[in-house]
Amino acid sequence: MKKKITVFARFTIWPLAGALLTSAALAVEPATSIGYVMKVQGEATVSIDGTTQSATIGTPLYVGSVVKTGPAGSMGVTLRDNTLMSFGPNSEMTLDEFLFDPAQEELKLSAKITHGTLDYISGTIAKLKPEAVEINTPTGTIGVRGTHFLVKVD
Amino acid sequence: MSRQYTHAVALFFLALLGGCASKPYVVLVASPDGSTGAIEVRTAKGITRVDRKDHAVNLDGSSATSFQVAEPKLDKDFSAARAAQPALPKSYLLYFKTGGTSLTEKSQAEIPEVLQTVRERGPSAVSVIGHTDTVGSKAYNEKLGLSRARDIARQLQENGLQALELVVTSHGEDNLLLKTPDNTPEPTNRRVEVTVR
Repeated sequence: MKKKITVFARFTIWPLAGALLTSAALAVEPATSIGYVMKVQGEATVSIDGTTQSATIGTPLYVGSVVKTGPAGSMGVTLRDNTLMSFGPNSEMTLDEFLFDPAQEELKLSAKITHGTLDYISGTIAKLKPEAVEINTPTGTIGVRGTHFLVKVD
Repeated sequence: MSRQYTHAVALFFLALLGGCASKPYVVLVASPDGSTGAIEVRTAKGITRVDRKDHAVNLDGSSATSFQVAEPKLDKDFSAARAAQPALPKSYLLYFKTGGTSLTEKSQAEIPEVLQTVRERGPSAVSVIGHTDTVGSKAYNEKLGLSRARDIARQLQENGLQALELVVTSHGEDNLLLKTPDNTPEPTNRRVEVTVR
């Protein structure tokens, strides 16, 4: 049984996102974002499908988004399942997979950090299905059993 | 290979291990609620489980043995990432009188509190999830959960909610807070969960 999702209204904080989200709200199956940038300092960007934009508070994230910070940049993001991830300078992470539909038991979070530092606090996906979460690094994989950890690569 | 040569090579690598501060690693720290969870780290050296706080594993496959990391090193490596941590999500449980979409008086009084939280936090994503008890069919309860959630969402909007998004869903009777048999009236299960993140 497909659970109904109603997207009521999306207020513009970030003008382009407002336009995108308004059209998404009208679609039958809204292409909903999986999270938002909630904190930014210095140079930070979000890219998807080869398009890069400066990260500001409220910039939406999708499956496939790449978040990146510059030499003096930092950024914090919150995902729909309450996962919190924040990055120090010179960091880069790709959000590879995200499924969050507990009623359908569709749960998955997979991300890869290739540079920099990450502060990670797990959300509901890790609580409901720990084996569905993995944080990859170039040389190792971290399986989450519901918790808070810090990662440094490079 | 002479024994002496092997020894020198070993010493050389030991020096590398000790002196290299930028080795990739993951460290488990205390959760915001004060508890400590666990992580499982898979590298070329195998799988290491870490369940003690401030314990780390190297990610480069040099060793699968966990080790303790002192706070000054964590601070040096992670102060910027830690400072960028978004606010912890905050959830409210609002309870209903049986059957319909009327909130209990106590929960009705919490609506302004939800709005105040959103105002204080600034741009936030808000989700509203409806839940029911097990009285009635599964399909009926899915609809009831949705109408409860929609009603709360409407109240939030009418009272000036400004959010990045407001997403409304129903879990019907699938996600009981208190497990009960079918057709059991249970006030604890008749709820809408509003999360501000």
